[in-house]
Amino acid sequence: MLSTVRSKRLSLSEWLKTITFYEILVGMKATLSHVLNYRPITLQYPHEKRTLPDNYRGMLALLRYDDGTEKCVGCDLCEAACPSRVIRVVSAEVPGEPTKRYSKEYYMDMTRCLFCGMCVDACPVDALGMTREFEWAVFDKRQLHLNKQQLLAIGDRSFPIREKRLELQHPNVAFFNVPFTHVPPKPN
Amino acid sequence: MSELGLRLAISLTQIGAIMGIVIVTVLLLTLAERKVLGWMQDRMGPMEVGPYGILQPFADAIKLFFKEDIIPAGANKLLFTMAPIICLIPAFIGFAVIPWGPNWTFEIGGITVKPFVISDINIGILYILAFASLGAYGIIIGGWASNSKYSLLGGLRSAAQIISYELNVGLSIIGIVILAGSLSLVKITDAQQGWFWHWYLFALPAPQIFAFVVYVISAVAETNRVPFDLPEAESELVAGFFTEYSGLRFAFFFLAEYANMVLVSCVAAALFLGGWNAPYPGTILELLGLPSLAWIENTMWFAVKTYSFLFLFFWLRATLPRLRYDQLMKFGWKVLLPIALANIVVTSIAVFFTQ
Repeated sequence: MLSTVRSKRLSLSEWLKTITFYEILVGMKATLSHVLNYRPITLQYPHEKRTLPDNYRGMLALLRYDDGTEKCVGCDLCEAACPSRVIRVVSAEVPGEPTKRYSKEYYMDMTRCLFCGMCVDACPVDALGMTREFEWAVFDKRQLHLNKQQLLAIGDRSFPIREKRLELQHPNVAFFNVPFTHVPPKPN
Repeated sequence: MSELGLRLAISLTQIGAIMGIVIVTVLLLTLAERKVLGWMQDRMGPMEVGPYGILQPFADAIKLFFKEDIIPAGANKLLFTMAPIICLIPAFIGFAVIPWGPNWTFEIGGITVKPFVISDINIGILYILAFASLGAYGIIIGGWASNSKYSLLGGLRSAAQIISYELNVGLSIIGIVILAGSLSLVKITDAQQGWFWHWYLFALPAPQIFAFVVYVISAVAETNRVPFDLPEAESELVAGFFTEYSGLRFAFFFLAEYANMVLVSCVAAALFLGGWNAPYPGTILELLGLPSLAWIENTMWFAVKTYSFLFLFFWLRATLPRLRYDQLMKFGWKVLLPIALANIVVTSIAVFFTQ
């Protein structure tokens, strides 16, 4: 049997549309109508800013208590949790207090950070936080290698309302390495 | 002042004026294109530099000046440096024969001056086509001298495209040459005086509408504009012949592209749309009793036609997606070329039986 499949033949109207560029003209009419009826639909970013959700994972920051002392106890858990090895912590003893440690140096190489938030999850004392800052384009990549002072400054400006010291909170919260002798009373 | 010195001074003045107009137009085109694309696609376009972004071209120029200028290792330094210039010069040289105002002459110190055309040579179209084809050398040399296989292949691809479509540009113009019986742009424009149906686009006995369509499509392709911007193809091919170019050298290629756009638009206005002629006989300023100011109206009409044609370039860019390379070549050789050739035959027969 002969095959009955044939190549599709254009009907007269289709053929006319092809040679007169009908589809292209329709498209050009659409674009021209947008010139005459111009309504910008994009967000004018530097002038208008979208309100970010509360759980937005932006720039990382180190936090302080409300009396200005650093939360970080230099336990290195964030360093261990970080998949991209962004964080480097050098911890040391608090002078005169052999059981108490703090982070002597704290570095974050934000060129490698992928903002997964695992360091924040890992931190036992909530010393790390993710801010809503995202405008961190710089001309020199070395500026993204942040030290402790810079990270604390980011925390200071992004979290103006801070927590109380651990030992001033609930008595059962703070048992890591804070050798408190005086247990404050419960709030109520 | 000697006659030669005077002649030189007049020519240099004219060249300076035309160069100034063209360079300012090219600068503004870069802004206008982004604005028009913004409007057509419901975006803002450049708005930051200066009021409504009007200083954007200058910001672009400054930025390109200070970009790092890289010459790849193993590149042929001389040819690599020369390629953008080889592209740029032919694009500007073509403006010498464009009549952008009425065909007047007056005498200064015994020398006949045509104020609105730098050089009225009787092979004007041939001259433009000859020099426009030199741009392909710039592209192919730029691709070869980069010492990069991407650039070499990109250059060959772009050269093949430009040559294919230049053929169609040349052939679509021949119908008008037959009608006018001259290769001089001034004579061709003069022959289109009167009502707008005397323009060669509509003129009897052989309206050049099909030739105009072929010319528009080929001109878009020849100047590497969307939808025929295969040489750029930044999304799927990561540029072609200028992969290795940076900074000002890269900008020169685009300056050449924009100058070519202006040139192609001027040629379209002069050949198909009556050049500096108004769509009605004479000029309004003449009827108002100001014949000495009629050139303002005439040059304005030329500008309107040229800029409308340039707007068409932007309009096409905002509307159409890019063609595939085999579609591009097929369209040029199997569709446009036969139409252009048929147009020549029909025009010749029509002219033969009416004159």
